[in-house]
Amino acid sequence: MKISKREFLVRAQLEHETLEAWIEEEWLIPSEATNEMMFSDADLARAQLIRDLKDDLGVNDEGVGVILNLVDQVHGLRKMLTELLRSVHSRA
Amino acid sequence: MKDPYETLGVERSASPDAIQKAYRRHAKKLHPDLNPGNKESEERFKELSVAYGLLSDAGKRARYDRGEIDATGAEKPRQRFYKDFASDAPAGHAYENYSAFADFADSDDILSELFKRGANVHVRARGPDVHYHLPIEFLEAVIGGTKRLTLPDGGTLDVTIPAGIRDGQVLRLRGKGRPGIGEGEAGDALVEIAVKSHRFFAREGNDIYLDLPVTLSEAVLGARINVPTPTGSVTMTVPKGSNTGTVLRLRGKGVPRRDGGPGDELVRLKVMLPEQPDPELEAFAAGWEGGKAYDPRRDMQP
Repeated sequence: MKISKREFLVRAQLEHETLEAWIEEEWLIPSEATNEMMFSDADLARAQLIRDLKDDLGVNDEGVGVILNLVDQVHGLRKMLTELLRSVHSRA
Repeated sequence: MKDPYETLGVERSASPDAIQKAYRRHAKKLHPDLNPGNKESEERFKELSVAYGLLSDAGKRARYDRGEIDATGAEKPRQRFYKDFASDAPAGHAYENYSAFADFADSDDILSELFKRGANVHVRARGPDVHYHLPIEFLEAVIGGTKRLTLPDGGTLDVTIPAGIRDGQVLRLRGKGRPGIGEGEAGDALVEIAVKSHRFFAREGNDIYLDLPVTLSEAVLGARINVPTPTGSVTMTVPKGSNTGTVLRLRGKGVPRRDGGPGDELVRLKVMLPEQPDPELEAFAAGWEGGKAYDPRRDMQP
């Protein structure tokens, strides 16, 4: 389910400027449909993660970028590991 | 639900700063997005969030301390974290990042296959090649044939030996290696041939070499004799006056070649005296004047 920018701001409890900054930093990468940004549930959860990092865990802006990049790599690895295990098991 | 002070590990009198510090200390270790595979840490983090939600809000903390609300507070704990979306996300989504292993994916068939197709794949990769070592007889190498190779797993593999194969040559049997993954084709069996030596034949390229003993009379007077070749005996004429070291060529009796005609068999004569001393021969040699004039070592003066 995709939601509009307006709805995203409400549900993520974000200021417009904050969201712009996060998109600028590529912490969030909304999809674009007919010139309008669209946000997924994953974007929403990711925004919540960024808020957790910044507000609750005291991570500064540079740290957030580093952590998000590493988190994305971990998920890439996990996905590949899942596939690899699946293919190994399907052979057995 | 546990007591929020206990969950955070702080005294009931802890300052807001101390509570935040305690929360951060635990949250750094337990945040589900920093522990994507750990179910237990997710549960503990939820508890931690509830506890912190309660105690970080002065109003709620006061109400909890007064017993007005229970440990779950009013805060609804988060049910889904980013990781839940990340693990279900389709291939090619915006946050997909394979850079953690892109380098070794380049050098590995299976990984590069996975990598190329993204995650939503049916894996297919070619099976690995398997190497075998197969010793064969000299004549098998020249003439060709079929050899049965017994595999380590008890199976067998029939190897067709092409005529004229050389020592050290590697035969590739397509699809006889390890099975592929998914729809991937099987690897190849690579069979390295070791050609054993022969009792009297030798080989150089496509020519067969044979040292052939002949009697003194055959050498001196000439003769028609039987000579072994890889494909059976043939009759050969030893010219009158042949000597040790004389090389006779049997054309086409060498190793078959795929390109062009076969090699030759080169027969090098070796004049042999009788094994037992022969009085008649001794008498002849003693009276043989012409033999005394011949010095076979004339070129060997230092």
